[in-house]
Amino acid sequence: MSDTPENRFAQQTLTPAATVGPSANADSNRSPPRKGSDTQTLEERARQNVASFLTKYQPRQYAPLRSQINTAAEHRPVNASYCYRHQPDSKCRRQADEQSMTRLQSDLDTLPQSDQQGIAHVWSLFSAAPAKQRTLMLQGILAQCCFPQLSYISASVRELIRIDFLAALPPELSFKILRYLDTASLCRAAQVSRRWNALADDDVVWHRMCEQHIRRKCNKCGWGLPLLDRKRLREAKREIELRATNWGHNQPAGGSTENTINESCSTVEAPVGGKRKVESDDQSTALTKRHCASPAQALEEDESYFKTRYRPWKDVYRDRFVVGMNWKHKRCSVKVFKGHRDSVMCLQFEDNILMTGSYDATIKIWDTDTGEELRTLRGHTAGVRCLQFDDTKLITGSLDRSIRVWNWRTGECISKYNGHTEAVIALHFDCTLLASASVDRTVKIWNFKDKSTFVLPHPEGVNAVKIDTPSRTVLTACDDGAARLWDLDTKTCIRLFHNHIGAVQQVIALPREIELESHLADCENDHVSTSSQNGDAVNILSPILEAKSLSIQPSSFGSSFDQEESRLEPPRYIITSGVDATIRLWETSTGRCLRTFFGHLEGIWALSADTLRIASGGMDRMVKIWDPRVPTCQDTFEGHSAAVNCIGLSDSRFITGGDDYHVRMYDFRAS
Amino acid sequence: MSSGTITLTSSDEVDITVDRAVAERSVLIKNMLEDLGDSGEAIPIPNVNEAVLKKVIAWCEQHKNDPASANDDDDNRRKTTDIDEWDQKFMQVDQEMLFEIILAANYLDIKALLDVGCKTVANMIKGKSPEEIRKTFNIQNDFTPEEEDQIRRENEWAEDR
Repeated sequence: MSDTPENRFAQQTLTPAATVGPSANADSNRSPPRKGSDTQTLEERARQNVASFLTKYQPRQYAPLRSQINTAAEHRPVNASYCYRHQPDSKCRRQADEQSMTRLQSDLDTLPQSDQQGIAHVWSLFSAAPAKQRTLMLQGILAQCCFPQLSYISASVRELIRIDFLAALPPELSFKILRYLDTASLCRAAQVSRRWNALADDDVVWHRMCEQHIRRKCNKCGWGLPLLDRKRLREAKREIELRATNWGHNQPAGGSTENTINESCSTVEAPVGGKRKVESDDQSTALTKRHCASPAQALEEDESYFKTRYRPWKDVYRDRFVVGMNWKHKRCSVKVFKGHRDSVMCLQFEDNILMTGSYDATIKIWDTDTGEELRTLRGHTAGVRCLQFDDTKLITGSLDRSIRVWNWRTGECISKYNGHTEAVIALHFDCTLLASASVDRTVKIWNFKDKSTFVLPHPEGVNAVKIDTPSRTVLTACDDGAARLWDLDTKTCIRLFHNHIGAVQQVIALPREIELESHLADCENDHVSTSSQNGDAVNILSPILEAKSLSIQPSSFGSSFDQEESRLEPPRYIITSGVDATIRLWETSTGRCLRTFFGHLEGIWALSADTLRIASGGMDRMVKIWDPRVPTCQDTFEGHSAAVNCIGLSDSRFITGGDDYHVRMYDFRAS
Repeated sequence: MSSGTITLTSSDEVDITVDRAVAERSVLIKNMLEDLGDSGEAIPIPNVNEAVLKKVIAWCEQHKNDPASANDDDDNRRKTTDIDEWDQKFMQVDQEMLFEIILAANYLDIKALLDVGCKTVANMIKGKSPEEIRKTFNIQNDFTPEEEDQIRRENEWAEDR
C-alpha cells in the first residue's frame, strides 16, 4: 500500500518545498541557459506561494492524489470549507487510477528537473486550494487553452466522470433505480460488485418484482406468479418499505440476522404433513394457501405464512420465472401413468396426489412424484365420468347413475346417492353445495347442510357444471348447444350463452382477478374500461372491491346482486368448448361471445384454465395451450394415441387422460 | 393562489430568482412557503450548488404546467423506463451532473424529476453485461474469481434462453 506508484509520485511531486530545494539547485545546471535565472526566482516565488497555501488550506484534505503531506497537516483543526461533495467521509471522492498515475510519473520523469519542479508547484498549488479557488484556477487554465487542448480536456473528462451511483447514492435511491430494471438486467447488476450484489439481490427489489407478476401475466416477460399468496405479498409490503429506508443501518448487508432465523424453516412451499387442501375452484391454482378456512386451517395457514415470509423474494421470483420460461420454450418432462384398462375420463391433482377415473369403473390414486399407483377404488358398476376430491373426501359420478362419496385416505366408500335416472357426467362441489349433471337433462343441486336438493331442468343432456359460491350461481353446459348461468336463489337461468354449433362439452369461469380488458380492446366493455385505468392496482388486490364498484350501476344480473353486500356478481368471463372444435370466451354481464379460439380439428372434451393460460384437449388427440389475451394458439402438445378426455392444469403442470387408457403429466418445473 | 417571484440561494451563495409557481414544483419549497409565508427573503438551498440548481429550475420551468403527479403507489406496477423526449435531452449531462440532479430532486422533493433521473441511470444499466456496467460507472470488481463465478451461476436463470 505505502509503496504504490501514486504514493511515490505524490511524495516526489508534492513534498513541501524545503526537501525539494537542494536537488532543484543541483539540476538547474543542466537546464537550458536562457531559463536559468528565471527558474530560480520562479521557484522561489512558487515555493513561497505554495508554502502559504499549504499553511492556509490544509492540503491533506484536498489531495486528489492521496498525497502524503501528513507531516505538515496532521494536527491542524479541520477546515470547514470543503466542497460539500468532498467531505472526507463522502463516497464521491475519486479513486486514484493506478495506471494513469504510472504513466503520468514516467512522462514527468522525461522532463528536466526544473520543469518537473515547476509542474509540481502548479499541482501542489491546485491541490492545496479550496473548491472556490480551484474553480478559479480552472477557469484561468481553460481560458488559455486552444481548441486542441480543450478537445483533449473534453475527451478526458468524459472518461473521468464516472460515478458508482449505487455506492454513492443513499440506499433508497439506489433501490429506486434498481426497480426500473428488468429481470435479466437486475441479475447482471448483482454480479458487478459486492455493493451492487447486496442491493440488487435485496428483498426490497424482488418483492416489487413479484408484485408486478402476481396472478397476472406481465406483458413484457409473459409469465405470472400464480402461486404467490397475495396476503403474504401485501403484508410484507410495509416491512419492505421500512427496509428500503433503513437499509444499511440495522444490518450489515442483506439482512443476515433474518437469514439466520429462517435457515431452520426455509423449506416451505412443500405442503405440510400430507395435508391436502382443495380449492373452491378446482381449476385455479393457489392451492396450498387459499381455501375455505375452518378455524384450524386458518391457524395452520398463519403458521405456514410465518414460515414462508423470510424466503428471499428473489428465490420466489426465480422459481416462477424458470417455470414461465419452461412454458415459453416448451421445456417439460413427461411422465406417463399406466394402469387403467379403459378410457380415462376424469382427473384432478393437488400437489403430488393425482386421481383419475376411468371407463374401467375404477378410480386410481397416484403419487405424481414417484409415479406410483397408491390405491384403486372399486365400487361403481360402470364407467367413472367425473370426480372431485378435497382434504378428506372424494366424490365420483358414474355411468351407473350413482354418485359415491369416498374416504380416499382409507379407500372406503362412505355413501352412495341415486338421484339421477341416467349417467352422471359431471359434478362440482364447493363448501356446502354439490352440483351434478346428467344425461337425464337435469342438474341437481345437493345441499350437504340441510340435506335439501333441487333440480335445474335442461332441454337436453348436461355435460358440465360449475358452482360459483361467492355469487351463488352455477354454470352448465348442455347438449342443446348452449351454456347457462343459473341463479341458485331463484333457481332460474339468468343468462344464456348460445353460439356453439352442436353440444357444449365444457364450461368454466375464468378467475375473477384475470385482466383482459386491455387485450379485448375491440370489444366495448363500458363500465369495465373506465375502471381499468386507475383502479388497476386496486382491482388486482381486491376482487371484492372491484365487484362492488362495478355494481354501483344496477347489476345486469338482477336486483338481488345489488341488494346483498356479501353477494358478488358472477365471474366476469367464462369459457366454453364444444364438439364444434372451438373454444369461446364470453362476457357474463352481456352474454356476448368476445372471442373464438380456433385450432382444434375435432371436438374439444377437455378444458381447464387459470389466470395465465387455457389448456384444452379433444378428439384430435392434441392438447393446446392458449393465452386468453391472444386469439392464436400458443402451443400444441401431442402424445396421446387417442382422444384426450380430460385435463388438469396448474401453474407448472398439466395432466391429461385419454382414450388410450394413459394418463400423461407434462411438468414445467425445473428438473 | 400564489404569484410573483421568489429568490433561492444556492450552496455557493448565488441568488437565483424564479417564478413562485416554478419553484413550487419542489414540495420542499412549496411547504416552506406555505408554512412560513413569503417573507420576501431569499430561501437558502444549502445542498444544491448554482449549476445544479439552475438545471433543476430549467426542468421545473419546462414542467410547470404538468398535472400534479399521481400518488406514490402509481409507479408500483408501471415500471416503464420510457422518458419523454425533452427530458431525455435534458438528462444528456455528465454523470456528476446527473448524480447531483438526482440528489437535488430528492432533497427538494420533486418526484417527477427524481423519477426521470433514476430512470436515466436505470437505462444506463439495462442490457449491459456486468463488465460493461463496471466500465460505465468505473466500478472495481471486488469479488474473488471464485465468488464471481458462483454469483454468475446463481444468476444464470435470468438469461432468456
